[in-house]
Amino acid sequence: MVKVEGYEVPEGLYYSKDFAWIKVEGDKVRMGVTDYAQKSLREIVYAELPAAGSEVKQGEPYGTVESVKAVSDLIAGASGTVEEVNEEVKSKPETLNEEPFGKGWLLVVKPSNLQAELGNLMDFNAAVEWHKAQSQAK
Amino acid sequence: MVGANAAGVEAASAARKKDRTAEITLLTLEKNAGYSRCGLPFVIGGQIPNFRDLIVYPAAYFQMLKLNLRTETKVTGVNIKDKTVTIVNKDGATETLTYDSLVIATGADAFMPPIKGREKLGILSLRGLEDGERIDAVVKAGAKSAVIMGAGLIGLETGVALIERGLRVTIVEMLPQILPQMLDADMAKSVQEHLESKGMRILTGKTVEEFLGEEKVTAIMAGGERIDADLFISAFGVRANTKLAVDAGIPLGETRAIKTNARMETDVKDVYAVGDCAESPSIITHKVTCAQLGTIAVRQGKVAGANAAGDYALFTGVLVSAVTRLFDVEAGATGLTEAAAARNRMEVITGAISSKTKADYYPNAKPIKVKLVVEKESQRIVGAQIIGGEEVTQRINALSFAIQKQMNVRELAKADTAYAPPLCETWEPMVLAAEMVLMKLR
Repeated sequence: MVKVEGYEVPEGLYYSKDFAWIKVEGDKVRMGVTDYAQKSLREIVYAELPAAGSEVKQGEPYGTVESVKAVSDLIAGASGTVEEVNEEVKSKPETLNEEPFGKGWLLVVKPSNLQAELGNLMDFNAAVEWHKAQSQAK
Repeated sequence: MVGANAAGVEAASAARKKDRTAEITLLTLEKNAGYSRCGLPFVIGGQIPNFRDLIVYPAAYFQMLKLNLRTETKVTGVNIKDKTVTIVNKDGATETLTYDSLVIATGADAFMPPIKGREKLGILSLRGLEDGERIDAVVKAGAKSAVIMGAGLIGLETGVALIERGLRVTIVEMLPQILPQMLDADMAKSVQEHLESKGMRILTGKTVEEFLGEEKVTAIMAGGERIDADLFISAFGVRANTKLAVDAGIPLGETRAIKTNARMETDVKDVYAVGDCAESPSIITHKVTCAQLGTIAVRQGKVAGANAAGDYALFTGVLVSAVTRLFDVEAGATGLTEAAAARNRMEVITGAISSKTKADYYPNAKPIKVKLVVEKESQRIVGAQIIGGEEVTQRINALSFAIQKQMNVRELAKADTAYAPPLCETWEPMVLAAEMVLMKLR
């Protein structure tokens, strides 16, 4: 894990420019939002997540996350069928602020087109560069 | 949203909360958006490492909320009939944008009185991020001394910062006291003494008569005295930036800021005004004010943004609550000073008490002084000022709540308060000040 301008970027994950991360776990994919995203939104008070069994599509919204001041769509990092939903985040949305890459994961998905879709995502090195460029852009 | 700092970003966020699909655009002439102006003196002072650290809303915020942020974009006109805005974009091209609702958050500009020689170079002010960078550059280039014109919050906080950077600082204030908007003379005096004990030279009751120097200012004349310095900062105050509104035919109010109603809407339907360019009523006197504080800007922005997106929200007015820390002293105020009450023909009784921030016997207890201003007939609390070594802010907030709830001084004198020796005195100083007022009312 490195910190870029104060934002955590762990190794071993793939990242989208919509502030999503995914982690490949065998034939499943775990996904969530990045530290940069949660720090920008600040005190998260509500997360609306899809039910198990629903379909999500890479680059498209699957839920929303709301903080005291802001509201944002959650954009899927990979396409597939939702197998698990993090109930803890629904009941304790602050988990997203506390551990965006850990206990604050959002969905476990059975991916439908993972190999092709990984090409649309940033690996660790690319994500570090992108986070740097983002904070430079002001 | 015309403007993308405290008020503009808050308005955009509130609008997005109400309407998840509306197209929301923020226009700003500045390179940076969503940063904290109030933090500028603390970057100069060195407490915060970089000016960039003041950016509260990073790029991700605008993207996640689907807010279209356009920096370095000049808004040249508003057509309230056609509901359009004309802009000159980053590349110098002219564009016309349409709106359903418009929020004007054009802020305020540093005010420069008509002083002889004011066209000379080198008179800086502290308003934007780039102003801060300019002052920092002069300090880094080896400036040894500074003159600050104006003893309001910005002037004094900047003065403290420059002393912390090793400069000799002289403050020139036209009025006979420092912090004239915030404190009565008796309270201001103790703050002034503290600042002077830290080496700040303060000249009150002195007008800046002339800027001296060839092309660049090298000295000022103030009260007949020539003061040489390497750095000159004008902190005379700010004036609402209303040109865009005036040109568009949007009426101003009696404070010369943009006139608004309780929904922060201007006299023109679907056009709202918020922040330093807008006026709003005092909770106590119900007269309009233009207090130009960050907390007012965000509260107004939240209301206007919700209304602009079709919600119904009201702005309840201002008490002009403010706090500051100057070296080791915190000063805060809410509501009317005794002087402001007198200007409003209000008959008041005041009570002031000096106490400690911890039990008197507990190590490192610091002094704290509370002054209450109470309207004589109703016995309602209408103002408070506090100066202390610590724990000022939340007392000001408590008194602000009390004033908003129209609490009278008898109720405050009976208040149920908490106590532990390392944290406060047995008798809360606010309560003692209330008792002091009651004695005078007997």
